[in-house]
Amino acid sequence: MEKRMEAKEIEGLRLSLVIFFSNKTAVVGLMIFMAYVIDALLMQFAPSMLGVNNPNALAFDYSNTIPQPPSPEHILGTTYFGVDLLQAIMQAIRIDLGYSGLIVISGALIGALFGIISAYAGGWFDEILMRITDIFFGIPYLVLALGVGFALGRTIESMIIALIIVWWPLYERYTRSLTLSIKEQTFIEAAKASGVSDLKIMIKHIFPNTLPPVLVQISLDLGVVMAIFATLTFIGFLPTGNLPELGYLTSLGLNYIQIAPWATIFPGLAITIFALAVNLMGDGLRDVIDPRRRSS
Amino acid sequence: MIAAFGIRKYFNVKQSMLSNLMLKAVDGVDLKIRKGEIFGLVGESGSGKTTLGRILVGLLEPTEGDVLFDVDEDVTSRYENALLKGDKEELEALSKKYSIFKKRGNNRKILRRKMNIVFQDPYSSLDPRMRIIDIVKEPMIATDYLKGEAAEKRVLDLLEEVGLGKSFAQRYPHELSGGQRQRVAIARALATEPEFVVLDEPTSALDVSVQAQILNLLKKLKQERELTMLLITHNIAVVSYMADRVGVMYAGKLMEVGDKIQVLKNPKHPYTVSLISAVPQPKPRSIRQRIVLKGEPPNLIFLPRGCIFHPRCPFAFEECGWSTDEIVDDLSYLISSKYYESFGESVSIRTKDENTIIIENAKAELISEIVEKEKANLKSLTAIKKITQEVNYVEIKIHDFITPELYKLDDGRKVACLLFRAEEKNA
Amino acid sequence: MSEGPVIKIDDLHVYFFTRRGIYQALRGVNLTLNKGEVLGLAGESGSGKSTLGLAIMGLLPRNAIIPKGSIILGNGTDLVEKIRGKAPFKKDKLNLRKNELLIRNLNKHLQKIRGKRISMVFQEPMTALNPVLQIGYQIAETVLYHDAERLIRRALAREKVTREDLRNMIKILKNEGERGIYEYALKAGLNGIEEQIFAIWNREDIHEAKKEKMIIDLAKDKLGLFERIGLKLARKGMLKIPLISRLARRALIKEGYRVAKELLSSLGIPQVDSVVKMYPHELSGGMRQRVVIAIALANNPDVVILDEPTSALDVTIQAQILELIRNLRKKTNAAFLFISHDLSVLAEVSDRIAIMYAGKVMEVGRVEQIFEEPLHPYTKMLLDVIPTMEKDTLKPAKGTIPDARYPPPGCPFAPRCPFAKEDCLKFDREIAVTKDHIVSCILYENKK
Repeated sequence: MEKRMEAKEIEGLRLSLVIFFSNKTAVVGLMIFMAYVIDALLMQFAPSMLGVNNPNALAFDYSNTIPQPPSPEHILGTTYFGVDLLQAIMQAIRIDLGYSGLIVISGALIGALFGIISAYAGGWFDEILMRITDIFFGIPYLVLALGVGFALGRTIESMIIALIIVWWPLYERYTRSLTLSIKEQTFIEAAKASGVSDLKIMIKHIFPNTLPPVLVQISLDLGVVMAIFATLTFIGFLPTGNLPELGYLTSLGLNYIQIAPWATIFPGLAITIFALAVNLMGDGLRDVIDPRRRSS
Repeated sequence: MIAAFGIRKYFNVKQSMLSNLMLKAVDGVDLKIRKGEIFGLVGESGSGKTTLGRILVGLLEPTEGDVLFDVDEDVTSRYENALLKGDKEELEALSKKYSIFKKRGNNRKILRRKMNIVFQDPYSSLDPRMRIIDIVKEPMIATDYLKGEAAEKRVLDLLEEVGLGKSFAQRYPHELSGGQRQRVAIARALATEPEFVVLDEPTSALDVSVQAQILNLLKKLKQERELTMLLITHNIAVVSYMADRVGVMYAGKLMEVGDKIQVLKNPKHPYTVSLISAVPQPKPRSIRQRIVLKGEPPNLIFLPRGCIFHPRCPFAFEECGWSTDEIVDDLSYLISSKYYESFGESVSIRTKDENTIIIENAKAELISEIVEKEKANLKSLTAIKKITQEVNYVEIKIHDFITPELYKLDDGRKVACLLFRAEEKNA
Repeated sequence: MSEGPVIKIDDLHVYFFTRRGIYQALRGVNLTLNKGEVLGLAGESGSGKSTLGLAIMGLLPRNAIIPKGSIILGNGTDLVEKIRGKAPFKKDKLNLRKNELLIRNLNKHLQKIRGKRISMVFQEPMTALNPVLQIGYQIAETVLYHDAERLIRRALAREKVTREDLRNMIKILKNEGERGIYEYALKAGLNGIEEQIFAIWNREDIHEAKKEKMIIDLAKDKLGLFERIGLKLARKGMLKIPLISRLARRALIKEGYRVAKELLSSLGIPQVDSVVKMYPHELSGGMRQRVVIAIALANNPDVVILDEPTSALDVTIQAQILELIRNLRKKTNAAFLFISHDLSVLAEVSDRIAIMYAGKVMEVGRVEQIFEEPLHPYTKMLLDVIPTMEKDTLKPAKGTIPDARYPPPGCPFAPRCPFAKEDCLKFDREIAVTKDHIVSCILYENKK
């Protein structure tokens, strides 16, 4: 009896892994995602291992500024100002992943906070928040981000704030709907009957139960936000200088697209592949938390 | 121990901006539960028994009425007297001291220690992301009853007591079967040594053999700890096994309250009688009087007038609350179907006002004859007071109605049925 | 009453393949359902009683296999022949995709049998009803799907019948009873009118004069132009041709509504004219369950499987439905398989009861045998744990139902049984203690 029970607990975790790994595309997505993360971590803590001196600046080579095709020396070729593309993309992944992670996670935290409170409290607070988020949903997010970014000044920091402002309403709505369904479950009522305060119910019961689906949503959103961030630098909205950033890298090669298409394609691919990978991975994670999938 | 006075709970049903209808889940219930007894609250779905249970344990605030906790006979009779006299000051004073809805801060925590609830569905009543030990510990921490290691030790003791064993402490709910979960829920409810526990359909999600295990456990706990319990269930078999006293609810009102043996063995209220006769018995081919009720429980938004049970009641009579609409329905059935032969097609029937019905192209004699004949089958016809022939129509007047209250009988039980109104006067 | 089996289940095994292992839901079930009886099937959750009902209907999920056993209808058709032992395996794993195809084939094959010869009523009536279709339409559709002929016959008979015919038939009905009507209808070429007359005649809520008038009014009820064209098309078998078939279908559905009204009023539903035009959500739980029962009975099936039909209902409504089933048993000649976890409910309606535990039948007997002289320790325990006022303590067996993935060898109840012996682990037979009382327990081996 005892042993069977323990075996069951391992089974719970193993079952999650089995479900995830039975989705082959999700595993591919995970592998690509991990490659990006490892690259970003190495670039942060041991850039010299990747042969980079300053991960925050592109290494311009003014001796040969014209983009060169891929060669053994430059595996992905070079782009304008003689930058080695492989190295530049590896540098840029750190910046892009870091910023998009920052944006999505802070957006999710703010959204979850308001979402849980508004759904749990209900009443006028909920009503006001709903209308505010309605306003945000009414405006295309890119336009909104541009507007807010412009108002705050065209710097990276203000752009991050702008994107967080654009992104939190999404999570507000999502956690709100999750909370509404969790609120109906009797364990919340049981906690109330046991004298647990409303604040504690939100922290100890509702938040942990909204977490798994929110995490899946975060993983799905990472790709989207990275693409938006890159778009903003691509169109030259942000001052970039020598900032290694995928959108900026794409725009560097744009002038040479006819003679050196690789200079545009490779940084663009880096964005697309990442967005695709997190989407595939998110699908796999969704399977894991879906109780119907678990039972079959 | 715990006393509820005039509890009403209405829920808003939004229909449109203008009309705001009320769903009357509980509609004027007085209830006293004595110390150390198991009070069984029986009723069908929609009878308001669960809402009442949630109000008694302080999870819902009633629209009207009050619940006094930890009171003795003296206090309740003072409160009752004050209610009768309309003495607002006395009511305020008593309510301030004893009402479960007026306790704040530390008093509220102490109150929460003293009462708890076990829910029906053991699958959603335990947080799936908490370990058993944390689930059972929660009420102790929240009410400052015990902390740290002392609390953890108590959890282990409690788990032993409900028959689970210490090894369950570190597990998660999904690893447990339904019966085991319900044991955890019971352990949680008992964590702060409460005096009063509400059991809301504690076994209806379980198999019969597991149900038996849980019922035995509850009985054992009650004997050991002198718990007061409110057992809410639709299952009369469970109540008959567990309870000391029984209350029967129907459409938000108490129909009959009394000793278990009185109410279940020798029910008086027509609803209780038919409810108990409808319960399937594990005795095949046993000959017993079975009353199969017609129709369904009433719409809780538009309740029938008078006694809410009268439309289905096999014993209903003139003053039970028949409305002209009900009588017109039955009369037009008789005229157009059953006695079609005598009436033909040209008869028309309508209500004039709240107490008058008009039938055109018919003879009063014939109608009185039919009414006399059909009274036994169609109870609504009993409410017809007078049938008079006017120049070219028949006018029918109906009786006034009386809304029943809980009448106390000789044997101590209370019944909300007009049949027993006289008996109370005699008693 | 019993006139031979309508369903004979032999050594039926049903397994489910999941990521967590192979669940052995049924492990050798033997059961017969006789004509005109109500067989109660009792058991706790996990005993396989619902799986048995679904297996008879062929409503198996894609991960189910039937390694052994048979379900044979009265006419000799084996329902599970198509999938028995044919499960596609890849090494040790079940090939889900191929198995799904196999089961889909079985479903296609059974579609004609299901609903016509066997039908099922589920616990939750909402799942069986389509929320966006009228009640009448849903009944009409079932009849149309399985027996369009009947609808054509009915409509044409009404078209042809004269007041004179109907008056004659009423006379015959009063003098000779129902049989005479059949003969008259056959002779006059009015096949299909008789069931309409009976439906009116057997109503209990109206006066005879009114009934007579309603019967004679049948002759007034002629078809419209489009309906007549529709019926002609339907008779020529044009139900499959697009566009044209719509006309035919509409005419038949309209006739189906009439069937629905007759059926519902025979089940004691008042104001059928408005009920057939309602949608499921407008009805109460008990009413919905009646409608589902009406759909199940629409084609006069041989077997009706009732899977916990009253478990979601209140006691007083449950009593109404049980009364309805008792009446139906007298009126129709269908056999009922009544699945329930509640022995008391079964005591009210069943002729015989089968007790299931962990995928096996533990005991079968007539209802009074099961309740008055239960043999199997499990049956005894089930009876012991029904709470009553008289009992001081309930005596449930220790432990829980075994894990269906690792069923114990021999008698599955042995690990919880107070009388268990070592030999129980090897025991796996059914002993007929009397002719109709069968028990699967070692204690009765020598008492035959």
